[in-house]
Amino acid sequence: MGSQRNSALSDQLRAIAGRDYVLDRPEDLMLYEYDGGVRTHRPDVVVFPQNTEQVSQIVKLAAKVQIPIVPRGAGTGLSGGAIPTEGGILIAFSRMNRILEIDADNMRAVVQPGVVNQILSDSVAHLGLYFAPDPSSQKACTIGGNVAENSGGPHTLMYGVTVNHVTGLEVVLPDGEIVHFGGKAAESAGYDLTGFFVGSEGTLGIVTAATVKLLRRPERVATLLGIFETIDDGARTVSAITAEGITPAALEMMDGWTLQTVEAFCHAGYPLDAGAVLLIELDGLAEAVEEEAEQVRKVCFEQHAREVRRAKDDNERTLLWKGRKNAFGALGRVSPSFYTQDGVVPRTKIPAVLEFIEGVSKKYGLRIGNIFHAGDGNLHPLIMFDARDPEQLHRTEQAGEEILQYCIDAGGSITGEHGVGLEKRNLMSHLFSNDDLDVMLSLRNAFNSQSLLNPGKVFPTSRTCVETRGPALNPILVQEGM
Amino acid sequence: MNATGVSFDVARELRAICGEEHVAEIEKTSVVAVSPASADEVVAIVRLANQHGFSIAPDGGRNDSYPPSKADVHLRMHRFAEVEHYDPADLTVGVGAGTTVAQLNALVADGRLMFGCDPAFPELSTIGGVLAAAKHGPLRQAFGGVRDFCIGVRFVTGDGRKAKGGGRVVKNVAGYDLMKLLIGSYGTLAVITSASFKLFPAPRQTRTFLAEFKTWQEALRLRDQVVRSPLSPMCMEIVSPLARKMMRPEMTDDAWVICICGAGSDAVLARYRKELGSAITRELEDEDERHMWTVLEQFPFGQTAEVPDAYRTSSVFAPPAQLSETLRILQELSNPACIGRVGLGHLLIAAPANDEQGVWSLDSLKHRLPISVQVVSNWSELDSMPSMRAVKQALDPNNVLRGRELF
Repeated sequence: MGSQRNSALSDQLRAIAGRDYVLDRPEDLMLYEYDGGVRTHRPDVVVFPQNTEQVSQIVKLAAKVQIPIVPRGAGTGLSGGAIPTEGGILIAFSRMNRILEIDADNMRAVVQPGVVNQILSDSVAHLGLYFAPDPSSQKACTIGGNVAENSGGPHTLMYGVTVNHVTGLEVVLPDGEIVHFGGKAAESAGYDLTGFFVGSEGTLGIVTAATVKLLRRPERVATLLGIFETIDDGARTVSAITAEGITPAALEMMDGWTLQTVEAFCHAGYPLDAGAVLLIELDGLAEAVEEEAEQVRKVCFEQHAREVRRAKDDNERTLLWKGRKNAFGALGRVSPSFYTQDGVVPRTKIPAVLEFIEGVSKKYGLRIGNIFHAGDGNLHPLIMFDARDPEQLHRTEQAGEEILQYCIDAGGSITGEHGVGLEKRNLMSHLFSNDDLDVMLSLRNAFNSQSLLNPGKVFPTSRTCVETRGPALNPILVQEGM
Repeated sequence: MNATGVSFDVARELRAICGEEHVAEIEKTSVVAVSPASADEVVAIVRLANQHGFSIAPDGGRNDSYPPSKADVHLRMHRFAEVEHYDPADLTVGVGAGTTVAQLNALVADGRLMFGCDPAFPELSTIGGVLAAAKHGPLRQAFGGVRDFCIGVRFVTGDGRKAKGGGRVVKNVAGYDLMKLLIGSYGTLAVITSASFKLFPAPRQTRTFLAEFKTWQEALRLRDQVVRSPLSPMCMEIVSPLARKMMRPEMTDDAWVICICGAGSDAVLARYRKELGSAITRELEDEDERHMWTVLEQFPFGQTAEVPDAYRTSSVFAPPAQLSETLRILQELSNPACIGRVGLGHLLIAAPANDEQGVWSLDSLKHRLPISVQVVSNWSELDSMPSMRAVKQALDPNNVLRGRELF
């Protein structure tokens, strides 16, 4: 974009959002060129709207001058979903961070997209309520980002991912129109556009408010740490627990190397000489939790656990979770960069996929740590590398792709909770046929036919299919060379 | 052709696609019923419809008393009954859209698992129908709606594209969530050919606790008490006095009943008794318990799977705290028979069909009830209609699929 045009655009945005709420100097824009993934691209301008009406005006302006828009929450996403790959306007939601309503009787909250996940739970704690989706980044990530990516977290094993907790949305469509889907009721008349827009990664519209479910805090919580000599024993325990008819609230796994690294940082009391640990949480009615805790302990020992510890109180529980939730930060101390994958396999395939990952690690000469949501088969292999070395980055991406291809071949998926974004878009054609993608693209074009809203996300641009812009109803995916 | 039904030529072409024995003309109508056996046959039929301008209504093909649609062709999906995958250790299953809920439950029972949806008449309800109509039964209290545990879907769009959304794993955010779009779309966007689901461990034992009250206000107080307690019942239903008389003619007294199904060990069930205390008037188990839930699930259809002529049904969802206001207005109208997922704010109303004032019409209900209450079967005047039209246009531009007249 030419600097004159850029300056004119900034002035127009200032007229909408206020003089102090537009950034366009290179040193400011640098802060918005990345998220939690490995790719970067700088926006032309960043704007901080205060309300839905301003968002609508910004979107109308972008449509008029045909400039892309990318919405951004806290930038903690791990798939490049908030990277402005084609420059343009980045809408940052840090000013739209108000909880608009807490309706304890109906166990609902209405929130703006910039509300931080943890702050929502903290704000309703005095009512005995909380918001269930708990990504590891919950101290920073926003509800808007959670909705866009359909985020999960450890406790989504029992309680479901974000879409299971959203009953209504306020959305600004790509033409600037403000629409409302759903409401506070558990079900609404008409197509479930609320469910369809959640997880659409900002490619259909921009969410400016969400009505979310709040859950009642459980009466009893039991947090167990199963310690295993081998990662294989830990992995087998996961399906053994499920086979007992027990659905824990959370069932997390960490391998031995990751444990040592995390323990050095967090001092959570993890064993330093174990092959793997399972962090198992049960919650609910006291009688049921106590019985299940005993059953889980028995299953762990049957699967050769060396020891099963139980957190004695809230402090011990918090410490065990602190290690898990801060693990990514801990790994940052031992490697200049790491690349997080988000593959999913049927949970019975966990032992096989872990063996495969070990092989990939040796093949590419890259250390890979494993810390993941074992209960639902959602892997997070963390590949350690140095981003300053382009050859290492290339090897890292190849290793990641090989792992995800294995997940697809095992009947799984390329993303369980992080979203496709920029980084996995070219793997979409491994998971979906051209017809599948064609249907999705015709739906995107029904709302966002010019692809001005978060362009370059979700849909592949690789050899087999390319994304083109066009009106709805045309076959959009074309074979290269056609 | 639409005015006079499907022409002879089209019927002949349908026979060429599916075979002579799988196409039938429905007596006393100009409607043709066709029973395809594969997604490719559905593609061929849908493309034919786009070419010749006839309309299609998909149905499960298991229930002859299914309300006749105005569409030219009924697409009966009962031959889609194959098991695509069943992975008991992963708690997942994928079946053809024509599989009945009873067949699915029989399949997974050996693994001590269950399907999380219990619609009325499981031997007639097909998976495709459950998804298309977003059907639910009392188990919704524990497991949510089918939108919460359908993990993948295969379908043919109204413009004849064979596609899928989701997959076979319990956690998956790759691509748009097409399951959400098709669930509750009443066959107006695509013909569902198969679907995958998360399954749930079947409880080892259950008990049902009944509590009777003179007024609905007292009944709702028990609901509030349970919601605020640590109990997490599998089912929690309210039954109005008239609904109870319809289900159990021998019950003549005017009582509102709250039915709570608890699952778990002896200790857990003892906790239910302690929490519910003197509110419990009866406790059911085994055959009595199963019978009670079957009768309740079938309301207001009775034994026949047909809506009694004297009634018309409406389904409403209120935010739970607005259920009392909803019940107050319904009582003022004329004390209808109703049951519902009381913990979730749901009511299924069976109102008199003899309704000359139009009190029970969907529009009337919508305007009388609080604005936050959703009359789920009423799609008129929806704010989201332009977006719904955009979706319809993207998947069925010629409006071929008419599982329901919407546009």
